[in-house]
Amino acid sequence: MDLTDKEHVERCRDGHPEDFGLLVDRYQKPLFSFLASRVGNFAQAEEAAQESFVRAFLSLKKLRKPESFYSWLLGIAGRVAKEQFRSELHRRQDPEVAEAMMTSAADHNEDYPVEEAIAVLPENHRQVILLRYYEGLSCQEVAIRLDMPVGTVTKTLSRAYVLLRQELKSREGADRTVNKTEQL
Amino acid sequence: MNCAECRDSLIAFTEGLLDHEEGLRCQAHLDACAECRAEYQAIRSLQQRLIARGQATAEVRIVEPVMRRVRHEQFKPERETIMSKLLKHRWGFGLGAAAGAAAILLILLVSTPKAQAKAVEVMTKGAQALAKLTSIHFRGQLRAYPQDNFGSINPDGQFYTIELWKQFEPELKWRMEKPQRVVVMDGQSTVMLIKTGDIAVKVPQRTASAFDTEWLHRIASLSDTIANELKNAQAKGWKLSLAEETGADGRLKSVVTVRANSGLPEEDYGKNKFFENADTRRVYRFDAQSELLESVQIYLARPSGELQIFDLSKIDYNQPIDPGVWQLALPADVSWVQEPQKLPDNQKYSSMTAAQAARAFFEGCGRKDWEEVGKFISPVNQQVKDYLGGVEIVNLGEPFNSKNYPGQFVPYEIKLPDGSVKKFNLAIRKDNPAGRWQVDGGI
Repeated sequence: MDLTDKEHVERCRDGHPEDFGLLVDRYQKPLFSFLASRVGNFAQAEEAAQESFVRAFLSLKKLRKPESFYSWLLGIAGRVAKEQFRSELHRRQDPEVAEAMMTSAADHNEDYPVEEAIAVLPENHRQVILLRYYEGLSCQEVAIRLDMPVGTVTKTLSRAYVLLRQELKSREGADRTVNKTEQL
Repeated sequence: MNCAECRDSLIAFTEGLLDHEEGLRCQAHLDACAECRAEYQAIRSLQQRLIARGQATAEVRIVEPVMRRVRHEQFKPERETIMSKLLKHRWGFGLGAAAGAAAILLILLVSTPKAQAKAVEVMTKGAQALAKLTSIHFRGQLRAYPQDNFGSINPDGQFYTIELWKQFEPELKWRMEKPQRVVVMDGQSTVMLIKTGDIAVKVPQRTASAFDTEWLHRIASLSDTIANELKNAQAKGWKLSLAEETGADGRLKSVVTVRANSGLPEEDYGKNKFFENADTRRVYRFDAQSELLESVQIYLARPSGELQIFDLSKIDYNQPIDPGVWQLALPADVSWVQEPQKLPDNQKYSSMTAAQAARAFFEGCGRKDWEEVGKFISPVNQQVKDYLGGVEIVNLGEPFNSKNYPGQFVPYEIKLPDGSVKKFNLAIRKDNPAGRWQVDGGI
C-alpha cells in the first residue's frame, strides 16, 4: 500500500507538501551515506543532505520524470557537495589544509557510492534494499511492512543483488580505467 | 542439493531463513562446489558492503529539520508582499505552491482582481502563520453518520464532534476521531478503528493523511487549502471574496468566503454525500492582527437553500499534546481488514459483473457460507454474520455509477433475518490487486 515516488511527487505538486516528508523519510539514509562518501565528514553530510532535500522540494515542479525522484535527488546532492567543498576551500584559504581536504575527499571516493547503483534499481527492488539495509529490518519485517510473502522479499533481494553487482562492476571498472588513464 | 537448488536457496541461507536441515544441505553443497561458493561469497561481500553503509546511517533523522525548513522556505518569496511581487511578474510562478496558484488566479480573474487578490493575501498570511506551528488541535462539529467514512456528510442528520490532533515537530503524528471512528498515525504506521463492529485497517507506514481524512488535514495546512481553492478557481470558476467584521472579542476579523462547486449534476448519486462531491460555501475567519485562522464554517449549497454542515471554532495552536493521543487502544477481538489476494479460481470472480458479484455476496450470506462471503468482503466478523446470515434477496436492480466513485452501486432490496426489509444501494469496487469485486459500503 506504500505510495510510489511518482505518486508522492504528484501529491506534493498537487498541494500536499506534507507528503514530501514521506519522501525524506524514504531517502534520508541513502542520501546521507552518499554524501558522507563525498564530503568525508558526517556533520557536513547531514547539512548537505538537508540542503539537498530543501532544494529538491523547491524545484519539484521542474522534475520531468517523477518516477526518477531518487536519481534526480542524487544529482542535486552531488552539486550541493561540490558547492560545500568549494566554499570550505575558499573559507580556509590555506594551501596545506586545502591539500589535506583534497586528499581526504579522494580517499573517500575510492569506494564507489553504492547508493548511486541503488538508483538504477526498479523501485520495488530499491525499496526492499533500503528497508533491509538502511532501515535495518529483517526479511520478515520487510515482508510485513510491504505486505508481501517472505519468499517474495528474498526473490526481490536476489534479483536486486544481481542488478547491483552488474552496475557496480561496470561503474567501478570504468572508474579504474579513468584513474589509470590519468596516471599515464 | 544440486547447484540450481543451492542458487535458489542462497539468499534464504544468507538471511538465516532455511530450517536447520536445509541449511546443513546448503552448507554441504557450498563446501563441495567452488562455483556456488564463489557466488555465495560475492553475495556476502555485497551484503557486507550494504550493511556497513546502512549501519553508518543508523542515527540519521532529518525528516523534521527538513520539513521545518520546507514549511518556512515555502513562503519566503511571498514575505516581500506576495501580491505586489506577483503583480510585477504576472507570468512568474514564484517558488511556493501558494505563490504559483495566486499567480494563476491573478491572471484569470481580471474582472475583479482586487477583491479576490485581497482574499488570497489574507489566506496566504494565514498559511504563513500556520507554517511556523509545531502542533495544532481542532474540535469541530460535522453533520455526518457517526460510524461512516471521515469524508462523508449527512445533510439530514445531526451534528457530531470531529477532532484532529496534529503534531508537526519533532515528528509528524496525527489523530482524527469521530464518535464511531478513530485513526492514528503514530509516526510509524496509520491505523483506523471502526468501533461499530470492532474493525481495524492498517497502512504500515507514515502518512500525511489517510482514510478520507484529507479534507480536515487541508484546513490544518492552509497552504494546501489555498492551493486547492485556487486550482479550482482556475479549473471550475470557484469564487473567493473578502470582508471585514468585528468579532465578539472586539477585534477585527478578515473573512474569506469560497464558493465551491463540485461540478456534479444534481441527479448524481454521490452528490452532497462527500465533501469532494458537495457544492459548498466555505467561510474562513482570520484574526486580522495575529493573521491566524480562528474559525471555519461550511454550508451546503442546495437548490432548496443553504444548510450548515461543519462548524470549527475551537483551534488550539502550539499547545502540548498528551502523548496518549498517539496511542490507539484496540479491542481484544478486533477484526483486521485484509486486502484481497488472488485466489486459485480468481478468474471466476474477477470476470463477474457488479450485479453478479452483489448477487453472489447476498446469496452467500443467505446460505451462511462465510468462506464464500469472505471473497467479497473483509472482515467477515460476527456483526456481518448476525446481520446478514440467512438474508433473502427480494430484488436486485441495475448497477449505476457516480462520477467520483471508482466502483459501482447496485440497488438492492433484501429481507433481513429479523423479518424487516431493507432497500438501499450496495457500493462495490474492484480496484484491488486481485481484481475482484469487494463490498465497500451500503450495507
